[in-house]
Amino acid sequence: MAKRLTVVLSQGQSQNPAKRGLEEDLVARLLMEPGIDATVVPHLYDLQPDGTAMLCLQGISGDMVVLSWLYERAARWILDRNDVRGQVGTSLILNEDDDEDDDEDDDEESAAGESDDDKQRVVDFRAPPSRKIYCIDLRADNQAATYVDEIKRIAAEANTDVVQLGEWIQGTPAPEQMQRYLEGGTAAGVGANGSGGGNLTAGGNVTGAGNVTGAGNVTGAGNVTGGAGGDGPREVNRVDEEPGRRWYPVIDFSRCTNCMECIDFCLFGVYGVDQVDTILVEQPDNCRKGCPACSRVCPENAIIFPQHKTPAIAGSPEFVGSLKIDLSKLFGAPESDESAVDAAVRERDEQLVMVGRDAVGESVGIAMRQQQAEDRPKDELDGLLDELDELDL
Amino acid sequence: MSEPLAFAMGEFEARFPVDRQYATNHMWAQSRDDIVRFGFSAYAVRLLQDVYFLDWIVDAPVTLSEKQQIGAIESKKAESDLFAPLDGTLTQFNQNLLSDPSSINVDGYGDGWLFEMRGTAEGLLRPEQYIDHLDAVWEVTQRTIKGQLNE
Repeated sequence: MAKRLTVVLSQGQSQNPAKRGLEEDLVARLLMEPGIDATVVPHLYDLQPDGTAMLCLQGISGDMVVLSWLYERAARWILDRNDVRGQVGTSLILNEDDDEDDDEDDDEESAAGESDDDKQRVVDFRAPPSRKIYCIDLRADNQAATYVDEIKRIAAEANTDVVQLGEWIQGTPAPEQMQRYLEGGTAAGVGANGSGGGNLTAGGNVTGAGNVTGAGNVTGAGNVTGGAGGDGPREVNRVDEEPGRRWYPVIDFSRCTNCMECIDFCLFGVYGVDQVDTILVEQPDNCRKGCPACSRVCPENAIIFPQHKTPAIAGSPEFVGSLKIDLSKLFGAPESDESAVDAAVRERDEQLVMVGRDAVGESVGIAMRQQQAEDRPKDELDGLLDELDELDL
Repeated sequence: MSEPLAFAMGEFEARFPVDRQYATNHMWAQSRDDIVRFGFSAYAVRLLQDVYFLDWIVDAPVTLSEKQQIGAIESKKAESDLFAPLDGTLTQFNQNLLSDPSSINVDGYGDGWLFEMRGTAEGLLRPEQYIDHLDAVWEVTQRTIKGQLNE
């Protein structure tokens, strides 16, 4: 009995018809896939923590694929902040050179900073539940089929895992154990085996979960694995919420070392600590729209502003060249070669002045080390030739 | 009312109504009392082409200095940060554009207006001055586009 896989499609904010078209194409194709439950939500970043859409995501218990117009890291840690947690699923669809954030293997990540490999990261202290979450950036490819193929591969992988878990409990399960295991839902079966008991009640169609620590699972999103059959086309679960646009930092805990520089630097009360003194984004909506200053001062590049134009700040491990001509210089962008810290100080002062407070310059909360990766040149793209042709230059 | 002025962008002729002023960042400006309404000039719209997404990174009302970044735009062909055209208080954005920015293309000098500011319009250009400005920057514009194409 195959596990069901939930695919969440987070819609973009842009009216770009190509993006909208890809979203609709994906939904249509996913409807036809057996074993897949599709859920459509508005732009992940804009969702209110207690809104319908986020509650729905929290209710999904098994493995999950999240398709969004966000960098993989951004999507993952937005979900994490909202208690939608899981192991890092590795998608084969990646933005160019996009090394994924493996929670168990975070040392390469610190390429972003000049840090040592043996630094302790916050994630080392908070193990996620064992279900997997695969975050995929919809900017990686413009063909729906690419994503559907990958989702099918992931679905197959999820089912292969079941067998691997069987190996993990040592020895070969007896045929009847295996039978019970295969029938009874996955991780729950492992639990039963592990504790040596045949604890599963007959026909107990436990959801694919067992993994999830959190409470209150399974809403209408079609997570109930139990029912065999039922693999025909299903309705897409569309969660309508009309969130306004939001702006707040997202912490990547596979990079964060809990150094507290962000909380020292931010003067708007965005950051706080939990009961065990781990940094968290406590008051996201205190954040000043457009200000990415704390991200620039973070020594580990752990703070993501998913909507920021600079890919390194928006959550890309690598710069992904824009597909479009940047007209900013023509539209009045000041020439600038200021450092990351200078930029952060300037941005913070601008925000302070905007709310009628005094600028503080470098007098507050500056640590002297941050080096932000500079923007690299844009990629060449053939499509731009259209522009040239049409302008008849 | 006088005929709009025109500027040739290759084969495309961009037109500029003379009932308003212009800013060097390619916005038009129309004053009413001490409020100035801004929108994209035909030159800007031509460079952008179909606008898909507009985002403001400040909340109105807000006091700004000239050239301070206030938002970003994405279109079919291009993307750009957007900057305040003058010192002053930005009093409101055109909210209708957030869900559907297409009126920038359809009615750029009317319903496609971007925002309003309270401030002094002294630094703004008369239409004929703006045409002179376009003459001066057209070369750079072409180089900017070509330069990025060649990278």
